[in-house]
Amino acid sequence: MRSLICRVGSGACFIIVLAALAGCTREGTMKDAEGEMKLVFTHFKVPSPEVLSGLIEAFERQNPGVKVVEEVLPASTDQQHQYYATALEGRSAAFDVFALDVIWIQEFARAGWLLDLTPRLGATRLAGFLPGPVEAATYKDQIYAVPWFANAGILYFRKDLLSKYGFAPPRTFTELSQQAMTILEGEEDPNLKGFVWQGKQYEGLICVALEFIHGNGGTVIDGRRSALRDKKAVEALQLMHDLISVTRVSPPLVTSADEEATRHLFGAGRAIFMRNWPYALALYEQEGSKIRGMAGMATLPSFEGYQSAPTLGGWLLGVNRFSTRPDLAWKLVEFLSSQASQKVLAMKLGFPPPRDVLYQDAELKKGNPFIPPLYEAMRLARPRPVTPFYLMISQLLQPEFSAAIMGVKPPEQALEDASRLMEHVLKLEIE
Amino acid sequence: MRGDRAFLMILPAYLLIGAVAIFPILNAFRISLDRRMPVFGISYFVGLDNYRFLIQDPRFWQSFLNTTYFSMLSVSLELTLGLIMALLLHGSFRGRGLLRAVVLIPWAIPTVVSARMWEWILNPDFGLLNYLLQQIGLLSSPLNWLGDRVFAMHALILADVWKTSPFVAIILLAGLQMIPEELYEAARVDGAGGWQIFRRITFPLLLPFILIALLFRTLDAFRIFDLVYVLTGGGPANTTETLSLYAYKLLFQTLQFGYGSAVAVATFLTVLLISAACILLLRRQSHG
Repeated sequence: MRSLICRVGSGACFIIVLAALAGCTREGTMKDAEGEMKLVFTHFKVPSPEVLSGLIEAFERQNPGVKVVEEVLPASTDQQHQYYATALEGRSAAFDVFALDVIWIQEFARAGWLLDLTPRLGATRLAGFLPGPVEAATYKDQIYAVPWFANAGILYFRKDLLSKYGFAPPRTFTELSQQAMTILEGEEDPNLKGFVWQGKQYEGLICVALEFIHGNGGTVIDGRRSALRDKKAVEALQLMHDLISVTRVSPPLVTSADEEATRHLFGAGRAIFMRNWPYALALYEQEGSKIRGMAGMATLPSFEGYQSAPTLGGWLLGVNRFSTRPDLAWKLVEFLSSQASQKVLAMKLGFPPPRDVLYQDAELKKGNPFIPPLYEAMRLARPRPVTPFYLMISQLLQPEFSAAIMGVKPPEQALEDASRLMEHVLKLEIE
Repeated sequence: MRGDRAFLMILPAYLLIGAVAIFPILNAFRISLDRRMPVFGISYFVGLDNYRFLIQDPRFWQSFLNTTYFSMLSVSLELTLGLIMALLLHGSFRGRGLLRAVVLIPWAIPTVVSARMWEWILNPDFGLLNYLLQQIGLLSSPLNWLGDRVFAMHALILADVWKTSPFVAIILLAGLQMIPEELYEAARVDGAGGWQIFRRITFPLLLPFILIALLFRTLDAFRIFDLVYVLTGGGPANTTETLSLYAYKLLFQTLQFGYGSAVAVATFLTVLLISAACILLLRRQSHG
């Protein structure tokens, strides 16, 4: 506990120091750069940072006298959330533009930390953007962020193995299980696994579980009530459990696996199917990859009679409500989320664009053969529960979902417990 | 007059402790009486409501039991191993200085770094542990150490024992060196055997050091955070969630300052109780 208090204390000190430093640099730069306007853009660590810096330089050339300072936060979204929540709670103007995870927008908009962008977007609002990211960006009919790039769960499969056995990518979970079992039996390779996904107790498990629940026509929240008691949700978690313990299509290791663990396994040629985000493909196509040219992408399977429902991820750009230069900040958001910028990010970094039209772009299609399944996934992508309480709800669901897939509790029990805890939170808004 | 000056001299120390230790503790207690979620603009006094909720919160009790289990098992193993290591290092042999330094390496590595290392050792598919156990024929198929509700906790304990046994060994080694050689000589002259010497001389004289190591280790183990945070995040199914991790999730991930503080205060009180018990034991020991 002492250490916890110290941690709280030192955390607070760290943030105070950080805020103070940020304050200093701002003041300092304001003084020594007469006539030059500083804009601070905070974001997560991007791969090949020179690509983003290139875009920012282009923005600076278009806007003489403006200097954009990039500030990079740690990769973990939890840590970024912690930083933003603490800074914005203190009405900090240390940054003007920042990259937001889809799951934060509701919380931050409700707290009044994001500039309402609706008037600036005008009558067209977010026309031309994919429906999932737009839903995530909208709070009480106002728009608080512009989608920067989209993300959605996708099914990776081994092209070579599937074609060897004459299979097309599976459309349902039953089909996937059958294909996996046939191939596992035929290959007789003890190291080969069937279907790997993220089952560790963390945010990734929620994303996967939602794909099963939504893919069975179920949902999580219905108004202020939990919708998890429904048999569709129960069936979904039961299937996840059975994949590990009954049909054994998924190896037990999924219960501790995150994105990277599954990516390594599939990348070593040791899995037939994998659920992951689109980022893995570029890494598999690199020189030296064991499965170069063997990885295929398809829309995630669903239950019989229901549509595939990949979970939506991705990042949006927002303007700090306490920014001293909201107009300039908006200009940067507009520039970085423009069609042209998003094309650059898609071409060079493989960031899936959040705009319909870019999926028809000939140049992009030529560079990436998987644009059609990606587009399909993005179009179908479903956001995680769109509520300001999302982070609390996710924290409550994680152990219950984990218990259900491990067989620690029967799914009905786990979902009943989850529902009771969740309704406790959903009640909050009424108070 | 002398007393006054002495008081003045130690005043800065008091102020410092007050500012960095007492004040945060009192403030955490104060916040724990509020329902406070700044993100939602919620902040009002609720008295003991958070503690009432805590008493009925199964997640709190599970993390309490997890923490207790972790502390008891890891500390007993560390004391046993640490004692053996100390006895071995106490003997005189060539290369003793080097070995004493080498033994400390696990303790010197930051926990987050060693946790990442263990993450790879315990990896079900590429991990060293599974490979070795399969090579010597103890395992027929790889085990999923961190994704299993029984193994996950024990894997954490293993990693903790690896890291902190050297620390116990060093404390006990210092204790061993305080025991005068004449006592051993006298015992040998009287014809005492090895076990007798250990039981009648080494152990009783080492006891204060064992108790100090016990105190340090129990307090540390009860606040375990970094290892769990990196290796399991509390999973699977909360079987490895400790009190500090639960408090962290409440305070920093979901920003429930009121209830999070209540959990933190409850942890603090437990640790306080344990230290009081240890110190009492130590006093009784040294007074007779």
